[in-house]
Amino acid sequence: MSARFVCGKVLASLATLAFVVVFNFFLFRVVESDPVASLFRGRNLTAQQRDTLTRQFGLDGSKGRQFVRYLEQTARLNLGRSYATNEPVASEIRRKAPPTIALVGISTLLSAVIGIFIGVVAAWRRGSKVDYASTTFTMATYSMPDFWLGMLLLTTFAVALGWFPVSGITDPTSDATGPAKLADQAWHMFLPALTLTLAYLGEYALVMRSSLLDTMREDYLVLARAKGLRDVVVRNRHAVPNALLPVVTLIAINFGFVLSGAIAVETIFSWPGLGLATYDALNGPDLPMLQGLFLVFSVAVIACNLVADLLYAYLDPRVRSA
Amino acid sequence: MRTLARALLVALAGAALVVALAVGPAAGQEQKKKVVFTVGDTQDLDNPNPLVGINVPAFELWNLQYATLTDKAAKDFATEPGLASSWEGSADKRTWTYHLRPNLKWSDGKPLTSADVAFTINRARRESWLNYTSTVQNLTATAPDPRTVVIHSSVADPKLPTMDSYILPQHIWDKLGKSAITKYAATDGVGSGPFTLEHVEKGQFFRMKANPSYWKGRPRVDEFVFRKFNNADAMVAALRRGELDAVENVPDGAFKQLSKDPKMQTIQGLQGGFDELALNAGAGLKKPHPALLDPRVRQAIAHSVDKKTIVSRVLDGLGVPATTMSPSANPDWRPQIPPGQQYDFDLAKANQILDAAGYKDTDGDGIREMPGGGRPLRLRYAVRSDSPRGGPIAQFVTGNLRKIGIATTQKVYNDDQLTELIGKGDYDLFVWGWTPFVDPDPMLSYFTCSQVSSDPKDPTNYFNDASWCDHTYDRLYQQQKVELNPERRRSIVDQMLTRFYRSAVYNVLYYEGDLQAYRKDRFTGFIRQPAKTGPVLFTNSSQSYANLKPVTATASSGGGSGSGAIIAIAVVVVALLVGGGFWLTRRRTAYERE
Repeated sequence: MSARFVCGKVLASLATLAFVVVFNFFLFRVVESDPVASLFRGRNLTAQQRDTLTRQFGLDGSKGRQFVRYLEQTARLNLGRSYATNEPVASEIRRKAPPTIALVGISTLLSAVIGIFIGVVAAWRRGSKVDYASTTFTMATYSMPDFWLGMLLLTTFAVALGWFPVSGITDPTSDATGPAKLADQAWHMFLPALTLTLAYLGEYALVMRSSLLDTMREDYLVLARAKGLRDVVVRNRHAVPNALLPVVTLIAINFGFVLSGAIAVETIFSWPGLGLATYDALNGPDLPMLQGLFLVFSVAVIACNLVADLLYAYLDPRVRSA
Repeated sequence: MRTLARALLVALAGAALVVALAVGPAAGQEQKKKVVFTVGDTQDLDNPNPLVGINVPAFELWNLQYATLTDKAAKDFATEPGLASSWEGSADKRTWTYHLRPNLKWSDGKPLTSADVAFTINRARRESWLNYTSTVQNLTATAPDPRTVVIHSSVADPKLPTMDSYILPQHIWDKLGKSAITKYAATDGVGSGPFTLEHVEKGQFFRMKANPSYWKGRPRVDEFVFRKFNNADAMVAALRRGELDAVENVPDGAFKQLSKDPKMQTIQGLQGGFDELALNAGAGLKKPHPALLDPRVRQAIAHSVDKKTIVSRVLDGLGVPATTMSPSANPDWRPQIPPGQQYDFDLAKANQILDAAGYKDTDGDGIREMPGGGRPLRLRYAVRSDSPRGGPIAQFVTGNLRKIGIATTQKVYNDDQLTELIGKGDYDLFVWGWTPFVDPDPMLSYFTCSQVSSDPKDPTNYFNDASWCDHTYDRLYQQQKVELNPERRRSIVDQMLTRFYRSAVYNVLYYEGDLQAYRKDRFTGFIRQPAKTGPVLFTNSSQSYANLKPVTATASSGGGSGSGAIIAIAVVVVALLVGGGFWLTRRRTAYERE
């Protein structure tokens, strides 16, 4: 993989990022609003307090001046202050990112592993009962909206049966630390992770299946069998690695999107991550928070796309020369 | 066989680990039997700093953490001794001397003295602290000795001697400079109220613990936990399962079901909140439809509003049809309009008034025109999208207006847009609401001439959303502001509100309350504020918490329902490991089988 190739891809990503940063500012200014008036309706504010609050929210000055201030602040990673809590947006995002990364990371890992496994088995035993059963199952879960699935699991296992908690990441009355705290968080994460895993494993299974079916027609597999290798070895050491290419890039791209797309699942389970933060900010509208979150999600998607591009080029030499 | 045995051993070890992890936390939780009162809500604490936060849960936190010089009686908001056990006023009633109780302490053991009181009042006034200004803007406090506070007001203030600003500990807050104090996280948990803050997880919960230094004595409840829920149905389910002891903001449907449950007590708590149909009276930046400037048209519109139907159909009965605006959480401040002078729902009378005033339908299209056959009576109706009631109420209001020959064009706005629209004067009708304070002054001030939007460059700087300017009302407002005799003050306010009612610029539709529910089998001692009609939690001075005691000995909230889940997970893990071991074995023998 040449340095020129890598530089080209990186520069393209940076250009996209620059566009997103500028677009971000104007997108949220299309919504005309005076948060001081709407947040403080019915409160006794003196003129001095109004001015102080307007300055605090960064709303004084012309749009041009606000834009320049926005660029300066973003360069220093200062994303402003939330209208709702008056905390710095950057620290709110830093605080809420780990639960989302944990949830999405584990779900992506599980759905990829299980999805690939199902796809491989379905393709290898094409036409058999196993193939039909697994394809039906994956199509069913893939077509289910993730929020509907989440509500279903919540209502059945948390509300009706009481096996899992209905909300949150920890038990508010416990002071547990260390492994006990991790176990408590894992117990809270079970249902949302199950929801996301079921919702996305279908995609990996179906893509893996069709990719492997294409690979199975290749001549080099006939040679491998002729050499006397066992069926399982032919599958795992020769067919699957070549068929994995599209799935690997799919995982990388999906990770970027699922980071932001877990909004519905996080809201249903009150999982205190970035998705729930987006939902709460939309209810405000808490514009600095939305701006900051939008920027973070865009950066995640751009970065994951870059990784997917480079990974694909690394794995498949044919792409590099194109 | 060796491989299989090895696989089984690994499976057993894994299962043992999972079970150990599960039993560990459960065992730890059962050591102390604390009395914990847990409340669920769909709104969150925004900021625990009393200079920054504005949400209802934040006020609940401060009511519990910071004692005030005077308290408010639960029955009727009357002023009662708090940190100060007694007080006397000067002849002109502008200077009041308060005597603090002996041996007052903060929760960290430091003494609570008059210096803390003076510090809070003076600094709040100097720096215009957000939730303090309306109380302290004209006050100066001095501390001649550690148990005496002298407060002087530069103007006659009928609110005194009530002093319910949150007194902050000087030894914590004095260290913060002017700009740092509004950025302070305020999680120190040093207070003088019945509970102090122990832990905050933003967006999830906050926990408070009982304060043994509270001047009324340590509460019976050891801990109070406030839990935020995003999903109101999950919150009600948690109440039914016993994870919560009480719930605020119960959804309408669930409220009806809980009312039928003998284990639950439901409360419709009225605190003066109301919704109104407001008209543009024309004193703002733009005039409305000319018909609205005619008081007879406004009266006809008032006669066309069917409040009883709106309450039963839109609120499902969970509200009280209203007459006048309520300027206070205390219902005693509402004037009684004699039945003969009320704008009853009467379409025939409305039509009569409009006919007599000359607004006839000259072209037969069902819509009246201005007298002399001019502009048709087509009014602009702004629907609030941020309220789920906005659309349904619009249907009832505009439907009846049509029956009296007034057409409407509806447009939908969110709150930000509507605030600006009203400020610019580009409206005729809309429905919105207010929640008053205890003292009527702020709510009354919103309808003075000075509160009408007047600066086109700053269109959201107003409170008077009816754009109504009445100089007699203004004169009476200034009188009540300095009237120290309570009966005379009430009579002046009565006159003001009657005048406002007669102008028909505000059709107050209904008084609406907080929908709450609590389990009867957990705690007893809930107090309504005001008596009989008010809520029990999130009230003006939050008196229930210090009064609660458990119904039975075991009242700690359950967290041990996870054992079933842990066993389920253990079974799954064992199955996976055994299955994995089996699969490994098959791999070894695959060569022979193929």
